[in-house]
Amino acid sequence: MTTVAFAAPRRYVRARRTAATHRTRSRALPRHVRSASRAVTWELRSFVGASAAIAVAFVLALAYLAGSTGVASVGYEAQRLEAQRDELRRQNDLLQLELARLDSPARIEAEAKRLGLVRVPYVPVVTADPVAAHR
Amino acid sequence: MAPVSSARLRTLFALFAVLSIVLSARVAYWQTVARPGLLERANGQVRSDEVLHARRGTIFDRSGAILAASVDLRSLYAIPARIRDKQKVADDLGILLGRAAGPIYDRLTSGADWVFIQRRLPEATANAIADLHVDGLGFEEEPKRLYPNGDLAAHLLGFVSDDGAGQDGVEGKYDGILRGTDGKLVAERDPADREIALGLRESVAPRNGADLTLTVDLAIQTSAERELRAAVQRESAVGGSIVVLDPRDGAVRAMASYPTFDPGAVAAAKPEALRDRVVGWAYEPGSVMKAITMAAGLETGVVTPNTTYNDVGYADIGGRRLSNALGRAWGPSTMTQVIEHSANAGAVFVAKKLGEQRLYDALVRFGIGRPTGVDLAGEIGGDVRPLAQWYPVDLGTAAFGQGLTATPLQLATVYAAIANGGTLYRPYVVASWRDADGEHRTAPAAVRRVVSSQTASTLRDMLVSSVDKGLAHGAFLSGFSVAGKTGTAQIPSPDGRYVDDQYISSFAGFVPADDPYMVVVVVLDRPQSRLFGTTTAMSVFRGVAEDTLRYALIQPDRKR
Repeated sequence: MTTVAFAAPRRYVRARRTAATHRTRSRALPRHVRSASRAVTWELRSFVGASAAIAVAFVLALAYLAGSTGVASVGYEAQRLEAQRDELRRQNDLLQLELARLDSPARIEAEAKRLGLVRVPYVPVVTADPVAAHR
Repeated sequence: MAPVSSARLRTLFALFAVLSIVLSARVAYWQTVARPGLLERANGQVRSDEVLHARRGTIFDRSGAILAASVDLRSLYAIPARIRDKQKVADDLGILLGRAAGPIYDRLTSGADWVFIQRRLPEATANAIADLHVDGLGFEEEPKRLYPNGDLAAHLLGFVSDDGAGQDGVEGKYDGILRGTDGKLVAERDPADREIALGLRESVAPRNGADLTLTVDLAIQTSAERELRAAVQRESAVGGSIVVLDPRDGAVRAMASYPTFDPGAVAAAKPEALRDRVVGWAYEPGSVMKAITMAAGLETGVVTPNTTYNDVGYADIGGRRLSNALGRAWGPSTMTQVIEHSANAGAVFVAKKLGEQRLYDALVRFGIGRPTGVDLAGEIGGDVRPLAQWYPVDLGTAAFGQGLTATPLQLATVYAAIANGGTLYRPYVVASWRDADGEHRTAPAAVRRVVSSQTASTLRDMLVSSVDKGLAHGAFLSGFSVAGKTGTAQIPSPDGRYVDDQYISSFAGFVPADDPYMVVVVVLDRPQSRLFGTTTAMSVFRGVAEDTLRYALIQPDRKR
């Protein structure tokens, strides 16, 4: 199949060339100039390709670094928050103990005594009358 | 260009070749033989192995009030090389820590790279030191066991040593479940000692200790300690103890010994203050034991409350004469009057009718001579000699509580059995504990039936009579029926005799007698009022009972 395509008549190929091609050909450059032009184009393409590859690699490295830095920052932030949480828990524990100390009956009794309060000598207890209880 | 000598080229090539081989060999050495060492050195610079301390469980009273809890307190350390003006820093710290500056300065100039200045600082002091912003001073957190009620229930709670081990009381007995299991964290850290987020991280989480809820009631405990302290101080007694039980299931509502100590500062306590006089101290209890003798007599049917004998003030047994207190003769007396008058001769009368075996069996059945099994560290069981070692007189002395020893807690369980209708319960202190698996409740444990409910009821009435009409009238409470018995015991001396004019006074009772809410045993060791020490013991009972009945909203069962 391929052999047949390459073997097509030259006239037929020429007939398919555009007008622009004709214009270029009408101002045809010397052979050595045309050869140099092709070389420049190839070098340019190579340069652009290499630059693009380097740029992509650079961007990827930057992305990786940004990701790593982000994770590290979040890690440090998480540690800071954990430390803050631990400190708040510790403060809470201390406050609970202080509350227990202040609620201690012995302390309240001592404070009442200091304020001049006295114990009630007799507490009347009212029992429901059996008759009233049955109503 | 002149051609390069091939000899030079070969030399150069050979040189490079040798160098390459040497370098390769060196690299191979570092990568293989020296690799573990290098790896370890590298890891050592960034890797930290940290112990994650388990939190010791909190101890609550039965209403949820904190009795003991662990918190991390800050310990102050110094890196002396980084402190410029050491004298000024020592002076400032001395003021804030309430210590002399000299020893602090000595530490700062000791040449050590790192020194502790003071451990486990109060929070306010640590904050004040932090505000100084001194370069070279830092804090490290260390766990500390704190007891917000000070010395309250010190013997019952026990304490925790500096290395975190529970000692005595609940802390000692339940150390295994209070302590928890430490965890571990292996992580890589940066030079600022921060964990590297993407670095190595292996951790085993700590398993915190279980929280305990006790049967003890802080309000009753406070009342018991207040009354006991006042009585011991008033009587200039050597010491004293009190225990309050719920007779329905053996739950301990309060337990205290005096002198006492602050469990948060055990190092400052006197050795005598550390002695637990409720579970770790046995004494010859004296007449409070007559309740057992009488229970055995009633149970076996050898006596009834109305059985009468003629009290001449003494009883002869085993060739010895055992007298009543003050040698008093009560004349014809019923068994109820024996309890009312606390007549030793009457107790010997019952014992003779029982015989050695049955009295001994009764003592053993009531648990005298062996530990009650309470869940506290350091319990002893008292001493009842085997029957084979009894002298004939021992039948008489044992009948009124001499020649054998018991702990106040044992006496409380005896009276609890009489109060609840005849069932001996194992006393217990921990009502429940909560760990990661949930809540575990302690089931009350009935040890055995010691007397029938009929015997218990009869004996209860006799003990009520003792308070209403007898020597125990000092325990009388307006509006409530009280059952109880006094005890004045002689103290054995090392030479086998009894100490002259020194006694241990006690009172054991329960209230309300018909539907008992609490059993109280009070013991005073060598009160100054000697034979009348029981009056003080009864006043302690009365004070605690009045407070508790009011607090627990117990209805009076008598008209006032």
